[in-house]
Amino acid sequence: MKNTLCLIKVFLQVNLQMSLAYRADTVINLLLNLMWLGWELLSLSIIFSNTKTLGGWGVGELITLLGVFRLVNTLMAALLWPATEKFNASVRDGSMDYTLLQPANSLFLVTFARITVWRIWDLVLAVILVVAGTFMSGAGTSPLSLLYFVVLTLSGVLIIYSLWVVLIALTFWFTKFDNNVTILAALLDAGRYPSTVYPAWLRIIVTFVVPIALATTVPVQALRGELGGQQVLIFLAVSAASLLVASQVWKYGIRQYSGASS
Amino acid sequence: MLKIYQRLWQVTWAEQWQYRANTLMYLLYWLVSPVVYLSVWTTIARSQGSVSGLTANDFVIYYMTLLIIDQLTSDITIYNFASKVQDGTLSNDLIRPIHPMLTTTLVNNMAFKVLTLLALLPVWGVLWFLFQPDFTGVTWQGILLVIPAVVLGFLINFLLNAALTCVAFWTTRIWALHEFFMALGTLFSGQFVPLTLMPPLIQSIARFLPFQLTKYFLIELILGRLSPSDIVQGYLMGVFWLVVSLLLFRWAWRNGVKKFSAVGA
Repeated sequence: MKNTLCLIKVFLQVNLQMSLAYRADTVINLLLNLMWLGWELLSLSIIFSNTKTLGGWGVGELITLLGVFRLVNTLMAALLWPATEKFNASVRDGSMDYTLLQPANSLFLVTFARITVWRIWDLVLAVILVVAGTFMSGAGTSPLSLLYFVVLTLSGVLIIYSLWVVLIALTFWFTKFDNNVTILAALLDAGRYPSTVYPAWLRIIVTFVVPIALATTVPVQALRGELGGQQVLIFLAVSAASLLVASQVWKYGIRQYSGASS
Repeated sequence: MLKIYQRLWQVTWAEQWQYRANTLMYLLYWLVSPVVYLSVWTTIARSQGSVSGLTANDFVIYYMTLLIIDQLTSDITIYNFASKVQDGTLSNDLIRPIHPMLTTTLVNNMAFKVLTLLALLPVWGVLWFLFQPDFTGVTWQGILLVIPAVVLGFLINFLLNAALTCVAFWTTRIWALHEFFMALGTLFSGQFVPLTLMPPLIQSIARFLPFQLTKYFLIELILGRLSPSDIVQGYLMGVFWLVVSLLLFRWAWRNGVKKFSAVGA
């Protein structure tokens, strides 16, 4: 455990140094990020200037949802997308060899190899949105539903992470599979709004096939007090099972890997 | 000249066809947000009957038309060209006796468009089946009227993006600029919601900007929701922006290409 934390610290340091070489770019990225946040809030205000509720959800709840969505989005943009890019290249050119030779869990190394450090700011923004949204939706938030919310957000994120692991592990079999995560990236946008407003077929896709909704809509539903303890336990079990499956797929995948150059 | 375009078409089509799997994936990105907005606004319209006079069906046909119009007026110049400037491979294009932007890049755009449209059609059919839109308001006149407007909209979009891509001759931070330009499009083109539902201030600004000429104006024109004076005004605005974007592009290209130093090649 201590080892792991130490490794994460080193990864952060290296990536911080890399991003400090491009200070101006970092500033521009931050500004662009704020601009999109402004647009997201404006779009919510446009929606709610035309209606009081969206599928039964008030404006506060949608701001909370936006916060959770941004949390998931940050996870992707700060960790998973950069990692995917590096991983795909490393399977193709054989530099995956060096990752496998290191005395640490290979999946861990692949996940944290590249971190877009300035995105940590995005996490702060996301938390602010969640807190502000929860206060705006006002009464009815019990400590228990708050706990459910946190637990479900984490388990939802783990389920999406497991899906990501399976998708990139497919590269071990196909070698050249640059589009491995496109389906995840493309459907991510559907997490901005409660999945209950989607037609049934789309709801099924974002819940079961590419389960974006499990990390966005479902936690906010818990915050609204719509979910019982039993359901929360089911979601926890599902996320544990999906992590298990993903790590097995990863293991089999590595066995397929034969190196490219050597 | 026609022969040059013909030959370029053959080459770029073969090139794009080679990447057809990529194109399909691209389409997935394009599909999701209109379908999401469609669901959001039809939910609202159903819960209260209508939104500022727009019924659920109005939203369905708006976004379904948007899917096609968006493809028709879309432009991929920056993806195609910016890297050539940055890694110096533009040199190969520059020694040819034809304008790299107005020939290869333009034709490549067309090939990409045809390919994505071919892929979009079956998807659109499925969406038709799922949403059961009622397109009875669409007339042949509307469709005929919109064709020149689509060409105009595409040319404006192409030239503006080409001018923007030329900024790559001066700076490497072209993608940030591109993102900013895209944000303006999100705000003013009507891709989030029909512009009539936007705040009045944004509506009145949008009327004078080129972005709605690539989406909102065309969609409303097809759906027959515009008065004759709106149509004339839209076309005039289109011609105005065509001239402006042409001048912008010529200026950016002439001055930019002088800066080109063929780094790394």
